Amino acid sequence: MTHTPASIARALRSRSAREQEGEILSFTTVTHPPARFGTAARTIGLIALDDGTKVMGRILGGEPAIGQRVRSRLRLSHTTEQKLKVYDVCYEVLAKKPAPKPFPGYILALTGPSGVGKTTISMLLTTTVGDYAEKVPILTTRELKKGDEQEYRQVTAREFIAQMKRGEIVAATKIPSSSEQRWYGYRATDIEAIWNDGKIPVVVTEMGLLQGLAHHYSRRSILSLGLLPPGKSKRMMLSCLLHRLRSRGRDSEESIVDRLKNAERDLQFFEDRRELFDHVIVNENLDTACSNIANHVMELAKS
Amino acid sequence: MREQISLIGSGQTRFSEWWGKGIRDLMDEAVTSAIDSSPITALDIDFVIVANMLGERVNDQAHLGAIASSLLPHRPPALRTEAACASGSIAIHTALSLLESGRAENVLVIGVEKMTDVSTSEIAAALMGAADAERDAACGMTFPGLFGLVARRYMHDYGLTRAQLSLVSARHHRNAVSNPFAQFKSAIDPESVTESSLVADPLRLLDCSPVSDGAAACILSSKHASPIRFAASQVSTDSVSLTERPFLTSFPATKDAAERAYEEAGIRPTDIAHIELHDCFSIAAVINLEDLGFADPGRGITFYEEQETTPTVNASGGLKACGHPVAATGIKQILDVSKQLQVSGQRYGLAHNFGGVGATCCVHILEHTP
Repeated sequence: MTHTPASIARALRSRSAREQEGEILSFTTVTHPPARFGTAARTIGLIALDDGTKVMGRILGGEPAIGQRVRSRLRLSHTTEQKLKVYDVCYEVLAKKPAPKPFPGYILALTGPSGVGKTTISMLLTTTVGDYAEKVPILTTRELKKGDEQEYRQVTAREFIAQMKRGEIVAATKIPSSSEQRWYGYRATDIEAIWNDGKIPVVVTEMGLLQGLAHHYSRRSILSLGLLPPGKSKRMMLSCLLHRLRSRGRDSEESIVDRLKNAERDLQFFEDRRELFDHVIVNENLDTACSNIANHVMELAKS
Repeated sequence: MREQISLIGSGQTRFSEWWGKGIRDLMDEAVTSAIDSSPITALDIDFVIVANMLGERVNDQAHLGAIASSLLPHRPPALRTEAACASGSIAIHTALSLLESGRAENVLVIGVEKMTDVSTSEIAAALMGAADAERDAACGMTFPGLFGLVARRYMHDYGLTRAQLSLVSARHHRNAVSNPFAQFKSAIDPESVTESSLVADPLRLLDCSPVSDGAAACILSSKHASPIRFAASQVSTDSVSLTERPFLTSFPATKDAAERAYEEAGIRPTDIAHIELHDCFSIAAVINLEDLGFADPGRGITFYEEQETTPTVNASGGLKACGHPVAATGIKQILDVSKQLQVSGQRYGLAHNFGGVGATCCVHILEHTP
């Protein structure tokens, strides 16, 4: 039942994902909504959100029309029999129809838990299909380790936040660890430079970065590939990651524990937000996974 | 079909508001006339399948398989099927599977729904169970509202006008005038559809099929032959929530089930003489004609602009005028197609029944060999 406290609590979990701008695909005015929503007619729309997902939600104000832009607003939806006030995401019609963003080009995004092989694969891609794809450097506030120079650009936290405020960083995420807060992000200039070279930018992402990129460049400009470790269950996948993290010998045991905690969250993200991934690839054999992804790059390059 | 399976008996109550009859009474009436019309006796039935969607919620009655079985003297094994508005045709599909497997030889299939025992708001809430409770219903959506979204988008994409859409219900009412089992045996003009009260803009009251009580039953047999046999039975499903569909103006499950049914029967759409399709809302009839392969996208309405069509569409009056006791509809359609074939002497007829907004779709093709 959609109006029990437990189901409302479940709905609240998905609320933040629905707080985006979007476009009306269709709408209707229901003359007699279900009793718990009161007696006033209710206008409800099917909305295509900017990250590519679709939702159904109440439309507020204005004269809705198909194709019109809407932005999310939190409003009182109804009061339950237990006198609980339920707030829900509604969509407010924007008076002016902003010009649609031009299609910027494709980005290849690799998402997966720590240790699954994102970096290895992205490095291999720049050699196998280097004429078509190039890795975007990651801006980070963490200390660089040996071998990191190619992949990361280090800045201070103060500088990172300043760039973010100036809108130069298109997607950023804060990854907690036991010792410090680390920022990671991508700069628009880095991505656009690769497009200007006629190549496809390759980004290594996690959930925050992927959603940020999808929001900034539109979901359809991103070919989103999910990488999963082999294993039938979440527990087996995690043990495979643990094995890989230990055997690559780059991280301290403490940092491995941090990474595994984040990995567990990432695996959950795969289940919760399947629509954010165009393909999910299991990295059982590096060569197979890599050539599979190289094929996707070639398809994009041709289009 | 791996076996020669025939329709050897059929019966139904009139679809109506039966204040004086309960769910068991309705079933009993349909079953009695189905057995009376068949060459077998009640004792020859070796399996019973009951289709019903709302028993628990509206009638406080689950466990309908055993109740139906108790209507027969020897209490054969029984089960119940549910797939929202497609419950009836899913029951037929299940019965055909039992017959094909050899598990049964004569199966009694019953569809029953008793909807008028509760208030309109309660029945509306119960029917919304056919949609996705968390993704579609949570914002205050109703079932007519979902088809309102479909209709709005269809009108936007293909330029269908309100006046054109009103032709659909007017035609179905005209067809029902001569049907003794129809809930509304009254002709209405398209203008009265356009002027009826709004339910879910742009859909109006007379675009919507009514709330009805009723039962329909048929007996399918692999042992006894009859002029009507099943040439194809196909089921296809799609996402229940509209938020997971790539578009609103076509129902892929219908297309899929229909294509596989034509293949199974070894025929083309042009071989079909009569269609009974699922017009739960007027817009659905238009889209179904396109998905079933009888009209190009955006052109389904032409069937309602012409006075006579080949194939005939909802000659019974469809869900709109016959009434729509949810799970009885899929079986009633089979009964109607078989009657139409026997009267016209034509060879093939098609029944199309779906649940939700085209989330479960079932297509049956009947073959008439006099």
